[in-house]
Amino acid sequence: MVGHDVGERLRVRRRGLAGLAGLAGLGVAAAPVLAACSTETIAAGAAPLAFRGAHQGVLTVSAPAGLVGAFDVRVETRDELARLLADLSTTVEGLMGDVPVRERGGGFPAADTGILGPDHGPTGTGVVLGLGASLFDDRFGLSDRRPPGLQPMPRFSNDRLVTPERSNGDLSLTISASSSEAVVHATRQILRATRGRLVPRWVQSGTNQVSPGVRSTPLTGRNLLGFKDGTVNPDPAATASMDEVVWVGAGDGHPEWAVGGTYQAVRVIRMLVEFWDRTRLSEQEAIFHRHRDTGAPLGAADEFDAVDFPDAAALDSHIGRINPRTADSPEHVMLRRGFNYANGLDDNDQLDEGLLFVSYQRDLEIGFLGTQRRLDGEALEEYVAPQGGGLFFVPPGPGAHGSLARGLFD
Amino acid sequence: MPYLTDMSSPLSFQRGRSAAVGFSSLAAALVISGCSSDTAESTAPPSVVAVDPAVIDTAVADYRVYVDEQIATMRSETDAFAAAIADGDLEQAQALYPVSRRPWERIEPIAGIIPGFDAAVDVREDDFDSPEDPGFTGWHRIEYHLWVDGDLAAAAPYAEQLASDLADLDAASDELAIEPQVLTVGAQELIEEVAAPSGKLSGEEDRYSGTDLYDFKANVEGSEALVDLLDPALQVADPDLAATLEVQFADLDAQLRELGSFREGFVVYAQVTDAQRSALAATLGELAESLSLLNGTLGLA
Repeated sequence: MVGHDVGERLRVRRRGLAGLAGLAGLGVAAAPVLAACSTETIAAGAAPLAFRGAHQGVLTVSAPAGLVGAFDVRVETRDELARLLADLSTTVEGLMGDVPVRERGGGFPAADTGILGPDHGPTGTGVVLGLGASLFDDRFGLSDRRPPGLQPMPRFSNDRLVTPERSNGDLSLTISASSSEAVVHATRQILRATRGRLVPRWVQSGTNQVSPGVRSTPLTGRNLLGFKDGTVNPDPAATASMDEVVWVGAGDGHPEWAVGGTYQAVRVIRMLVEFWDRTRLSEQEAIFHRHRDTGAPLGAADEFDAVDFPDAAALDSHIGRINPRTADSPEHVMLRRGFNYANGLDDNDQLDEGLLFVSYQRDLEIGFLGTQRRLDGEALEEYVAPQGGGLFFVPPGPGAHGSLARGLFD
Repeated sequence: MPYLTDMSSPLSFQRGRSAAVGFSSLAAALVISGCSSDTAESTAPPSVVAVDPAVIDTAVADYRVYVDEQIATMRSETDAFAAAIADGDLEQAQALYPVSRRPWERIEPIAGIIPGFDAAVDVREDDFDSPEDPGFTGWHRIEYHLWVDGDLAAAAPYAEQLASDLADLDAASDELAIEPQVLTVGAQELIEEVAAPSGKLSGEEDRYSGTDLYDFKANVEGSEALVDLLDPALQVADPDLAATLEVQFADLDAQLRELGSFREGFVVYAQVTDAQRSALAATLGELAESLSLLNGTLGLA
């Protein structure tokens, strides 16, 4: 509906202004846009866009900064929805490729936020689009296209503070980058390009401790309870493992457009950190069944040592409920890509901190939903209070020539 | 001229296309193809079209007429408002409060460039330690007395002062030089005024009376009036943007119509649901993005 996408990006290439000299004779004022065109050049063969591929970039190693936002779409027809997603796709491709935005002169608002300065280097920006169950209602005639595992976030035992305003949404956008400023930049560019058509429903930003490591996954970061989080995260470099755990396959009973996609689970989990900081260390470690400082299972020395559950209490711990390590327990059921968050104070002047849980899985029942049901009633619930989140389907990547979620309309 | 002065009906300003300036009288509109890209997903850059400065000058001159018309309406309606207060007629005073503010809200871009008046006539309690501060003057001071303590005697001197301040504004406006940017940026700012965290959308403006939707509608009318005046230029420079604005204003007007009208009255702002506010916010945001392109599109600095 809108023919003026402020944030729309173009690949700018040096190009001779052949023919302009002839026009000058007509007495026409020089168009200000011309100046912008000759100043910036993207060298041919610049780094390929991670945007293009068979899958969206959910495997990208944990980023230092990120944000998950859920949005409702405010368009009326299927064509308008397709146009919105195409515009979004264009903006995302530009952001992920660090493509400079074409400016149009001082009489216009700047097309770029300016936050990162001119000629900024690579931002490592990644954007993942997810589709919520509500997008497949009767508005756009897409109900027969719904991925079979997609549903609104169900209610779990500790979800007293979860509200509809902070849950679900027609779309999710998960933005990650090497700096918080780059995340802010990407968020604002996307919102400008889709203003009024994508209505923000809830957003949560976060950060990660990222330490360099020799593994393709960085050394395990810690959550804001002080414990290592993600020790058993699968290695994204292992293709076979990702096909098993993350990507929906051709034999999974999904519509063709959805093959190569994945399910995303997002939970904003507040941690009651004042209380936690007053809790005996032995109690904390028993809750997780891990040593806080080393990340090693209780009774072991190293983070990656085998886990032993000597008694029922140990099996009832956080990691015991997640994976009891029985013969038929799969080693991996999801790929974690979350963030820590600190939002300042709540209305009672208590710290509003927690975990922006993000996981990707081929099967939600085997992955997030089954795992979370096993956690219902766990001892950790006393120290955490989920606030919201949602379940989304991440469409496959745009390939070499397509756009995000284009397959939905073919 | 596409509008008529009608003091009894400030809505007489109709959307219309001035026929005074035809396409043929413009400098040749010329599309210069700028940088382009050889990639399939790139979009052609927008054309840059020269707009005849005379078309802009006409819009500025017409806006001058509109402003004078609104100021005259504002003074007569504010005089009636002050008279109701002096007569001790609370019901009539309450009825005239939102009415008298409409012209002010329509021409806020102008009010903003005449120093001093905004702080005298449209200041809010937030700038003072107490609503009883004698420096708290203007419409909202009077609103406070009309809705909070019902003290018309206390309101009367402020009503007299308001009428007097607006007479001064009327005189000062004669000297006002209106730059073209007042029109382009003003059209956007009137919408920003509604959408701002402290604006009409939050219900902060008319907190005692709940008559925010009157201001809201008047801001939108002021913006629409500016876009109408700029339309002949915009039809040359970027007819797509002109069409987009038409659709977005229509969307916003339709949502406001659900909440009332000047003729039938608007609902008290507290009755606007969260869902309605969200929808209004989305439309306002979309419209503001489009309006932010007006200035550059018309080739203004």
